[in-house]
Amino acid sequence: MTRRIGIITALTAIILIIVLDWSLGTPPDPYRAPDPMAFGSTSGASGAICSFAPGAEK
Amino acid sequence: MVIRIPLVITLLLTLAVFAGVRFSLLLGLGLLIGFTLERYGFGFAGPWRRLVRDRDAQGVIAQLIAIGLTASAIQPLIAYAPGLLIGAIAPVSLTMIIAAAVFGFSMQMILGCGSGTLVNAGSGNVVALAALPLFCLGSFLGSLLIPFALQSTPHVPLSLTKLLGVEQSVAVTLAGLLIVGLIARGFSQGSIWNRRFLTAAVFLAALAILHVLIAGQPWGVVYGLGLWTAKAAQGIGWDPNTAQFWIHPINATALKESILTDTTSLTNIGLVMGAALAAWIDSVNKPLKQSIAVWYYFVAALFGLLLGISSRLAFGCNVGGLFSGIASGSVHGWAWLVAGFIGSVAGVHLRDKLWLLASREAK
Repeated sequence: MTRRIGIITALTAIILIIVLDWSLGTPPDPYRAPDPMAFGSTSGASGAICSFAPGAEK
Repeated sequence: MVIRIPLVITLLLTLAVFAGVRFSLLLGLGLLIGFTLERYGFGFAGPWRRLVRDRDAQGVIAQLIAIGLTASAIQPLIAYAPGLLIGAIAPVSLTMIIAAAVFGFSMQMILGCGSGTLVNAGSGNVVALAALPLFCLGSFLGSLLIPFALQSTPHVPLSLTKLLGVEQSVAVTLAGLLIVGLIARGFSQGSIWNRRFLTAAVFLAALAILHVLIAGQPWGVVYGLGLWTAKAAQGIGWDPNTAQFWIHPINATALKESILTDTTSLTNIGLVMGAALAAWIDSVNKPLKQSIAVWYYFVAALFGLLLGISSRLAFGCNVGGLFSGIASGSVHGWAWLVAGFIGSVAGVHLRDKLWLLASREAK
């Protein structure tokens, strides 16, 4: 067996995650989509970011 | 390549139609980052390992250049458009520092950091494939522990741009990177320059800057992994209202919305797909299973779990915490660098011993 099996496994897992999220959750709504770029637009960052620490003293 | 390029373009256009252009661009960025990291053999865990083990600083120097280039662009950009663009500013604390050390240790055990584990999994590496599911689980568990960590020790967010102003912040960041580079150079044996890594560093910096312009925030990895698990947990009956982290409006919104509209999820998906594209042709010439004992895969899974928990408590992995943190002018990025490297030194030595043992048993 070659690593191509591993690649196919990884891609299958990703597709499965997307399909499950799409079918069980809220599908994306293109009419609510933000501007293509945050810079120079009115819709900026979502704030859902790794460094986000809700509750940390500001 | 003839088939792969139209396939990627079709995928990106489809996402643009069904979700929005910004999300399509973010997936495209993730694809390019994954492709670059895999094609150029560039990453974070490997260069740190080579510095510790072989006194080879080439990869570390390239990392520092990538961070420096990114910092020079994104700190002024974020200051120019406050609110629209945000930096990866997180608090410094004792738990954050310990968690970064644990992450540094764990990433050496599986030779994959936040981005590296995704890229390795995308390229069909079984150790990474064993570690990734528990990395996701760990990221979720870490999010549940954040409130306890915040209560246990003082957490102080320190932004160099706020403390010093943009010009001085960029200067201090570049000076800090130069000092680290000089230390690495002093420790290194042989040339510190490697054209392949430097090319990858320039590409990575350009993509990281584009990420800020498009998403409004710097590149990250672990938030998306924790989000996927939180969604799965919700699907089997977990109530997010019981978790302080997930009731915050930003996180609650992310939980409700599709992962195809979540920044870190999209770049994570792109990383796996980009690495898969880069590794596809050569993958038929590489064996799937490495010649190690099966128990090492369980070790990798365990350290995958630790990667997830520690990266949440350290407010980012080597990407969101170290790379984007330092580039944004966050002091927590520097604390991450020191603690993560100390953890890595210990991890390199233990990994060598365990790997040798696992290789012998496999024979």
